[in-house]
Formats: sequence, C-alpha cells, structure tokens
Amino acid sequence: MSDRAPVIVFIGQPNCGKSTLFNSIAGYKAQTSNFPGTTVTHVHSEVLWNRKVYSIVDLPGTYSLSPHEPQEKVVLTHIFKEKPDLIVNVIDASLLSRSLELTLELLELEYPMVVVLNMMDLARKKGMTIKVEELEKKLGVPVVKTVATRGLGTDVLMEAIEKALRLSARPDAPRFSREVEKRIKDLMDILPEDFPLVANQRFTAIKAIEGETLAVDKFISGPDRAFKSELDRLRQEVSALRDAPAYEVISVERHHLALKIFEDCCRVTHSKVSAIDKLDNLIMDPVLGYFFMLVIFAGMFYLIFKVGSPLETWLLKPWEAIRLSIENNLGHSLLAELLVGLVQGIGGGLAIVFPYFIPLLFLIGFLEDVGYLARASFLLDAFMHRLGLHGKSVPMFILGFGCNVPAIMATRILESRRDRIVTALLIPFIPCAARTTIILALVAFLLGPWWALGFYFFNIFLIAILALILKKWFKYDSPGLILEIPSLKVPSLKSIWQKIYFNLKEFVRFAWPILIGGSILLSFLSYVQFDRLINAILSPLVSGLLGLPQSLGVTLIFGFLRKELSLLMMFQALGVGYGQLLSVITKTQLLTFVAFVSFFIPCLSTLSIIWKELGKKVAMMSAALNLSVAVVVSWLIRLVASLF
Amino acid sequence: MLRDHKAMFGRKRNGQKIVKPTLEGLCSLLEVPAGQIFKIAEIRGGQGLHRRLLALGFHPGDLVTLDNEAIMNGPVLVRNLTSDTRIGLGRGIAQKIMVETVTGDER
Repeated sequence: MSDRAPVIVFIGQPNCGKSTLFNSIAGYKAQTSNFPGTTVTHVHSEVLWNRKVYSIVDLPGTYSLSPHEPQEKVVLTHIFKEKPDLIVNVIDASLLSRSLELTLELLELEYPMVVVLNMMDLARKKGMTIKVEELEKKLGVPVVKTVATRGLGTDVLMEAIEKALRLSARPDAPRFSREVEKRIKDLMDILPEDFPLVANQRFTAIKAIEGETLAVDKFISGPDRAFKSELDRLRQEVSALRDAPAYEVISVERHHLALKIFEDCCRVTHSKVSAIDKLDNLIMDPVLGYFFMLVIFAGMFYLIFKVGSPLETWLLKPWEAIRLSIENNLGHSLLAELLVGLVQGIGGGLAIVFPYFIPLLFLIGFLEDVGYLARASFLLDAFMHRLGLHGKSVPMFILGFGCNVPAIMATRILESRRDRIVTALLIPFIPCAARTTIILALVAFLLGPWWALGFYFFNIFLIAILALILKKWFKYDSPGLILEIPSLKVPSLKSIWQKIYFNLKEFVRFAWPILIGGSILLSFLSYVQFDRLINAILSPLVSGLLGLPQSLGVTLIFGFLRKELSLLMMFQALGVGYGQLLSVITKTQLLTFVAFVSFFIPCLSTLSIIWKELGKKVAMMSAALNLSVAVVVSWLIRLVASLF
Repeated sequence: MLRDHKAMFGRKRNGQKIVKPTLEGLCSLLEVPAGQIFKIAEIRGGQGLHRRLLALGFHPGDLVTLDNEAIMNGPVLVRNLTSDTRIGLGRGIAQKIMVETVTGDER
C-alpha cells in the first residue's frame, strides 16, 4: 500500500443519515479534525480499520451534482479538487427511488463507488423489500445495508470499502435513451483539446449540455465560437426531444432510469397508515399544529425548569457549605479568598451544566432527530415571512436556545447572504443555555417562575421587533420556501448523546477552566482591590445609567467571555451567597442586570464565529446592535420600575 | 372529519377558491382540493426554481397530492407519490406547479 491514506468521500442527499454513519465509523478514529469555513465545509477524519488508515470525508448533503445552494457547491468543489479514491454514496433506503437519481449522477463520474442503503429499518417499516444483489447488478457497484443509528452494518461497510479500494474498479456510467446518448457522443467528439475536463469526457459533455455554470460556462464564453454554436445546436436538439429545457430532459432521463431500477429491485407491500403517520397529520394540522407547537415548546422549558431548579439547589448546597467553612476557618486571608474563588468556580460550573445545559441540549437534539424542527419551519414560515425572514431560519433560532455558535454556523444553508446576515444578527438575542441559566437561576429562583416566563416572552417579542427593524434596513426579497419534510423518526439516544457530548466537551475543556480561573482571578483582584479600578471606569454605565451597584462592573468583562460567568462573578463581586442576594440588591436591579447581561454583547465565541462566517463588518454591527439594545432595554426596565 | 374542517377553515381563511380541473385543463397546486391525487403537467417559473424542484425529485408526470397547508398564507405541504417524498412549498412556488387530473389506471 502506498504511504498516502486513501481518500474516501461520503456523499448523499440531505437527511440520509450520512453524518450519523460517518460518526459511527469515526468511532474507530485515530484523530478527528473540523474545518469549518464558507468555502470548504466538511468534516474530515482519519479512521484506523484493520491496521490500515483511511482518510474519510463527510460532505454536506446534496440533492444533485448541479449545485444551487452554497453547501452543495462545497460538494462539487471537493470532488473535483481532491480526486477521491472512493465515493461512498449513502442512501436513505426508505426514499430509494428518489435517492437513486443522485446515485446515477455519481456513477457518471466513473469513480470507484460503494452504495450504502442506510435506514434499512425505516424502509422495512414502510413495507419495502430491497433485492440487494439485483441492485448491485443494475448499478454495477457493491451495495451494503446499514442502520447507522444503531451502528448496524458498519463493519460490513468497512470491508466493502477495503475491497472496493483494492479492486479499484470503475463503474460504467448509466446509459440514457438512444437519442440523448447520440448528442452526448457528438459533443464528446468535438470537445476541444484544452477543454477543462471534469471527471471524464462524458460527464463533462453531459454537464455542458445541462448548462452547468460550473467551469463550463467560463470556457464557453471564451474564444472558441465554432464550439459554442455547435454546443448550442446540440442543446437545442436535446431540448426538442421532450419540448423542455435540455437540463430537464437529462434530469427526466435519470428520473426514469431511477424509477425503472426501483421497480426492478424493490417490492413494496402496501403498508397501512401507521400511528406515526397519524401523529404527523396532527402536528402538521393547520389549526392543531400550532397548538401542539406551543405545548411542545412550553413543555420543554417547563421540564427544564422543573428538573433544573431543584437540582441546582441541591448541587450548590455542598459547595456553599465548603465556602462557609473556609471563611470560618481561614478568615479573610489571601489563601481563603483564592480557595473560595476555586470552590465557586467548580461548583458554579457543575450547577450550570447538569441542571440546565444538558437537559436543554437533550431536548433540542431530540426535536431535531425526531424531525420536528423541519415541521416547525413549515408551520412558522408565514409568520417568519412577515418578519422579513424565512421558515428555514426557524431551526437556527431553535438551535440558538442551546448555543448561539452552532446556530450561526447553521445559517450556511440559507441561500441568500442577506438572510444569513439578518439571521446571524438576530441569533445573539436568543437566550442560549448559558443565558437561560441566568434567567432561571436569578429570575425564576429569586423572583418566581412567572417572572422568568415573562422575561422569556419579552425576549422573543424583542427579537420580532428587531427583525422588523432589520427588515427596513436590509431590503427583503424572499425566494419562497422549498423544504423537504423528512418522515418522523424515532430518535436514537446514541446520536443525541453525540450532540450533547460535542457541546459538553467544549464546555469542560474551554469554558470551565476559564470559569474557575476567572473566579480565582476575581478573588485575587478583589483582595488587592484592583477590581475597583475597572468598576470605577465602568461606573458611569453601570451605576449612572443602569442604577446598579458599582461593584458589578467587573462582572461584565467576564460576561463577554461567557454569559454565565457574569452570574457567578456577581456573587463573588457582591460578596454574598445565593440565598442572600436580594438583601444586597433590589428586584429591579436584578432584572436590569439580567437584561443587560443577556443582550449587551454576543459572548466571545459567538462574536468570533460571526466574524469568521460573515466578516468583520457584520461582527461589529452585531456588537453595536447588541450594546444599544441592552442599554435601551435595561434603561427602560429601570424607568418602568420607577413608575410603580 | 379533519379533511372537512380543513376545507372549511383552511381554504376560506386563505381566500382561495377551489377549482376542479377539467380533463384537459391545467391548474396550479394552490387551486386543487387537498387529499386528491393529481399529475404534475408542467413546472413554470425560472430556471433556478425549475432545477431545484427537479433535483428534489419533482418531475412532470409525477403523481402528487396536497397534504396540508399552514395558516396565514403559509406554505403548502405536497406529497410526491411517485418518489414518496414530502416537501413544503411557499405559495408563490406552489402556484408555478401546474397539475392535471389523472385517469384511473395511472393510479
């Protein structure tokens, strides 16, 4: 074997379980790396299997090799630049007929390929029996069955990959009808020597007839006029075959081939309407659907509060006891202060993660995997349009309740840059898990759950208003919704856990150390009384404008690192424990503080991801927008409260 | 039951008339009653939209039904029986998909 690890790319239509499959294979991984960015967005992993290293790339889902959406362009760029050694085409077996259209297009590339029939359990439930040998014969490539959510079939897949790489057999491209084939052949014959070939001559010719802008058009607009007129003629001839544009004729060819293969290889015993279908009709109902949505989201936050709040009290108790015993035994020496800082950092981290962060991530992951997020997008599309947005932005906003960072990364799937910018500017106003913690821990715990609920609704209302303002600013031109609604699935705990683990790892590795370090640092600063300087600088804002105790100024600095730090530092800065907070500040001050901390600036990670995804200008805009909203809102709270 | 109340409330609220397509006549997906099977005759509209729908497996000749629609002039839910998929389509887009009635044996 050569010293270079063979490159294997995973390609499939969105929602075919490709990433789940990738993750269950990358469980063997030697090392994983993540390369997010607008141009190359793929996950890459070195997998060790049978003492050999494979370089596996998970590409974003694409419906076809004719790119329309930004993430689909990534797929093409990758295939043609990296020249993979093997393509693994992942198919949602329950959508076999449609998925085969992409498979046929991939076969045209004539790269070595393995087809994976994933979600076999779902296909079986639908009453589908797929004859694998028949399918292998028709496609001319090996076909493997898997159920990625349960990790079934991954070994068989790895064996198939190994074998396919060893044989390195190139499949034959599927043949279209005679009339179309003739035009493709004609074009292949006249392709100029220096024509930039994509994969092979035939594929290049097909893409030229389809009129793909990819590389082809640039060349066509070049000097070779004779070739261009010849191409135009062939395109017209193809177009005349069905009295439709050439790209449609080719697409219909693939469609028919796919249907033919589907009919030959798959038997569907008519399945009756299952309970899941009935449930689906209910939650998509134009009237009841909205009622269910309200129940689902209200229930979600109620559950988190019900679980989180007692758990938080329980988790904080031992640390509070340790803090008191340190103060009793060591007095106010430097060592005591530092130890208290340490204890509060560790305890605070625990009290945030377990009661609120994990349940929230779990529930959002659950809704995502069940397929509810797509349904919520559908139901809320009209509403979002009124706000100058798209139903497609809904999942991002919901993701934002977990953490703003992945939510902003997810804006990549929006077609227009305008939509991306507006969505990314609004996401930082979504109360993420960290801010929910502050709201629950301070507002709900100290003022009562209704106050917290009210704050939450106010927060969502504020986002709607901001959306309307931004709509005035950025001209709104909606392309209209086109969104696949996947079938409802029973989610696998494994895949939800993977999502939680991913976010949790970030917290434990990055945020918690900062939290502990920051807590100790603040203890030290207050011991040497340096925090007074920062507080003095921020005093005009903190106590002048917002009417808060001056000592809270320093907590804002930490809030920029991570929002929940402000909460912890607040106790540290005011020098009181949890229960005694309201003896030091008033309820109004508490609300003003929560509002200001929630909005005043996107946290460091959010701001940097906006910078990375959309540029410096948008990041600055986001910071300015947040700061002005925070000042206005918290000042208003102070004003309103002073009236009563 | 459910279908009835959909026809009653859903339609009226959106102010659209239900037009029964005649045998030769075409009408858009927005005008047909929910729950019945139709055949896609033609996809109008620009190249971008056209290609996108083709890629999603919506071709002329496919059998489709209107499953549901959202309130406030929201999108419609279209089921493609030929490729067994469902997509949500904004009204502007659904309007560009022209359908015709199907004959008995095509079902």
